[in-house]
Amino acid sequence: MAEEVRAELVANVWKVVVTEGQQVEDGDTLVILESMKMEIPVVAESAGTVSVKIAEGDVVQEGDLIAVIE
Amino acid sequence: MTATETSAALDPRSPSARLAALFDEGTFEPITAVDDSGVLAGVGHMLGTPAVAFSSDPTIQGGALGSAGCNAIVAAYDRALADGAPIVGLWHSGGARLREGAESLDGIGRIFAAMTRASGKVPQISVVLGPSAGGAAYGPALTDIVIMAPNGRIFVTGPDVVRSVTGEDVDMERLGGAEVHGRRSGVVHLLTDSDLDAFARARELADLLGNQGKVGDTELVDIDLEGLLPEGAKRAYDVHPLVNGLLDSPGVELHQKWAPNIVTTLGRLGGRTVGVVANNPLRLGGCLDATSAEKAARFVRTCDAFGVPLIVLVDVPGYLPGLGQEWDGVVRRGAKLLHAFAECVVPRVTLITRKAYGGAYIAMNSRALGATKVLAWPGAEVAVMGSVAAVRILHRRKLAEVGEALRPSLELELAAEHEKLAGGIDKAIEMGVVDNVVSPKETRSVIAATIADAPQARGAHGNIPL
Repeated sequence: MAEEVRAELVANVWKVVVTEGQQVEDGDTLVILESMKMEIPVVAESAGTVSVKIAEGDVVQEGDLIAVIE
Repeated sequence: MTATETSAALDPRSPSARLAALFDEGTFEPITAVDDSGVLAGVGHMLGTPAVAFSSDPTIQGGALGSAGCNAIVAAYDRALADGAPIVGLWHSGGARLREGAESLDGIGRIFAAMTRASGKVPQISVVLGPSAGGAAYGPALTDIVIMAPNGRIFVTGPDVVRSVTGEDVDMERLGGAEVHGRRSGVVHLLTDSDLDAFARARELADLLGNQGKVGDTELVDIDLEGLLPEGAKRAYDVHPLVNGLLDSPGVELHQKWAPNIVTTLGRLGGRTVGVVANNPLRLGGCLDATSAEKAARFVRTCDAFGVPLIVLVDVPGYLPGLGQEWDGVVRRGAKLLHAFAECVVPRVTLITRKAYGGAYIAMNSRALGATKVLAWPGAEVAVMGSVAAVRILHRRKLAEVGEALRPSLELELAAEHEKLAGGIDKAIEMGVVDNVVSPKETRSVIAATIADAPQARGAHGNIPL
């Protein structure tokens, strides 16, 4: 089943750590957001192939799709 | 054991079998009759600590509760209060017995009243082993800690009633399974992999709350905790290794998946039971929000009610701002945490590891809310907000005038100046909002000594499920 990774808070996309189509494991960092003066890693909660839905410099709102893991 | 009990013990779902597996081996003794009331209650030991327990009987009418069964549960509560012992309830019940009508509803009401009478006086733990609906859902919800085994389900009304009333088609797991209550609703504190694991957790918690010990019961070894923080001040990290490093051995984390931006764990320090509340920068940057404030508030009140000292690990950038939070009631629910700490009388030690900003600084057991002691690691910062963010507001005009090229260096210069005036740890000590700087190498022993020296008071209040 595909896992949709969504933003937990409003933030700037500071770094995209994974590349499109990369294999990831549960717990791997996908993207690092910047908000509240903190670097906030977004981690995978399942293993699979990742598809990234945002780019560095984007602003994400709470609930926005960041990546899909299949 | 009588003949009836022996044959009943053959069914692993029978109350006799479940209670025998819950208590330390061979210590269980029934205190109510083994009959068709649908409930069996008894006493025994949990890791050596005397405790009371009862179990609903899913082999009779799906565990439904009638007047006699409800009386057995109330009797178990009377015994727990008389003994001052923790009480554990094993739940697998469809709720009220339909055939008994309003009489069974009255009985369930008497259970709720008994639970509330005992609230804050003796620790109450619930283990949900199978589908538990209606009264069997609210029963566990009124207790201090709810553990759910893999087949446990909690809902007000089951899928059949939902379908007939609203037409909504939903299965039991989606309605009230582990994902629902462990992550979304916060009804369940602990999810387990098996029934036996659930019993083991219940014994551990009964022992932690019922036999708290004192600092010095086990030898305390200082370890350097500094390596558990990352080098960069903005870098996120998982606080769990720090919480576990502080405790004698990894504790029992409650509400692990619900509001994971704050961690609430029961464990032991120097042999004494303590509760740890810690911001977790890995989730939401460690911000406080409506849900995490409510989770921490309930934990603080639970610890206060049972005389468990608190250790508060602070690394918080602030309250999460925004529309979603305000609409979620961050003001109302955040106020619960302020109230919980301010009324708390157990020894409670705060340790600021990196930063404590703004309203969240106040809420995390600050000096003003009555902390026994506020400690800080070298380099920690206490401020209304981060220094760069502060000078952007304080010196907005000046920064606008210099132009973009020079702005970053001016910001840093002003920030350094501002830190000296308002944010540094020296200033915080001068004002008395931080008592001491403590080295990460001696943190365990300093906190343990502070707890041991403080009056071992206990809050006089119930433990409403906030």
